[in-house]
Amino acid sequence: MDPSAIQAGARGLYYAATMLLFGDLAFSLLIRAKLPIIPPTRNRWMRWSALALAGAAALAWLTTAVVGMAGTFDQQAVTATVTLTLFGQLFLVRMLALVALVPVLRRGAMPAVLLALTALALPAATSHAAAASPAGFTVLGASLDAVHLATAGFWIGGLAVLLGLHRRKEPNILLALSLFSEWAMIAVLLLVMTGLINAASILLGDKGAASLVYLAVLSVKLVLVAGMLVLAAMNRFRLMPQNRDQTIARNAAMELSAGIIVVLLAGALGQLQPTL
Amino acid sequence: MLLSMLLAATAASTPVWAHAGLKSSDPAANASVKSPSLIRLFFSESLEPAFSGASLSDATGKTIPVSAAVGASAITLMPLSLKPGAYKVDWHGVGHDTHRVAGSFTFKVIP
Repeated sequence: MDPSAIQAGARGLYYAATMLLFGDLAFSLLIRAKLPIIPPTRNRWMRWSALALAGAAALAWLTTAVVGMAGTFDQQAVTATVTLTLFGQLFLVRMLALVALVPVLRRGAMPAVLLALTALALPAATSHAAAASPAGFTVLGASLDAVHLATAGFWIGGLAVLLGLHRRKEPNILLALSLFSEWAMIAVLLLVMTGLINAASILLGDKGAASLVYLAVLSVKLVLVAGMLVLAAMNRFRLMPQNRDQTIARNAAMELSAGIIVVLLAGALGQLQPTL
Repeated sequence: MLLSMLLAATAASTPVWAHAGLKSSDPAANASVKSPSLIRLFFSESLEPAFSGASLSDATGKTIPVSAAVGASAITLMPLSLKPGAYKVDWHGVGHDTHRVAGSFTFKVIP
């Protein structure tokens, strides 16, 4: 298989895992602060699985990046990558953040949220959005992409928390759902705005015609995101007032599944050439 | 559908996965110029100097010794002096996004 395809998969899995980590930790902390009536959510299995997957995917991503850049995989190539390239230096910081998460993951306080955010958002510095930004605006492009990743993480990880509450038959789940809706609406608004700006900076301007493969994958991603928005709106405005938590949970599971596919597609988009 | 799309992208030719490349050069590709003191290659995004570079060869394929400097988004070759004839520049560049691109172009030196 093409190493680029493996790298696309590793990137997608890394994003999915770190988004679940960040969103789970952030929304759980929010519940603890705003809804003390709900016992702490400590989805240990998911957190540890996501952390392990993030570490493995990061290593796979590094391996394929080294092979892609140096054409070989040996000690010299790895050393040059992690010491001399922006991707490699940020890889070290991301790995440090993941390792530092180990002792604080169980408690899930603010340091854990910030470490997960660091691991999730740092790849934005080496993204298409950063590279495609006009000269002098690279930091702005990377920052917008970081916001895009963080808001997507809050949405996806928050859904996982809600499903965890549903599974344990939390009696106050509708309170948590209401809190999630408030914050998720802001997150989704930022997500869509930064996504549109990123797409415009990557595809528009004097960069040549857009690649059909890139556009096709982007279109599928957008259709899935639109479906997620429909499900979210149905939950918030139709099912929540009727207290139909079973249907809400089913929709949230579908929304989360679509979200994971969207993230995997984002991993492929990061590898594809946007313009010809 | 998703799977078939990703498989199609995977099986597609290399340019689908490739990324930023050479934007322009001085001398330009296929140009005829008097012996240049510098050969400059301009790329569409920032380069990783550790994995980027270029070399110069003559019409027989013999490598011409040159010093090379990799800047933020350009590579500069400094040949001592070039005799009239055809020359080929082979380049490779890696952007911050870690994607490697490579290519070549030729130019002629006229008396």
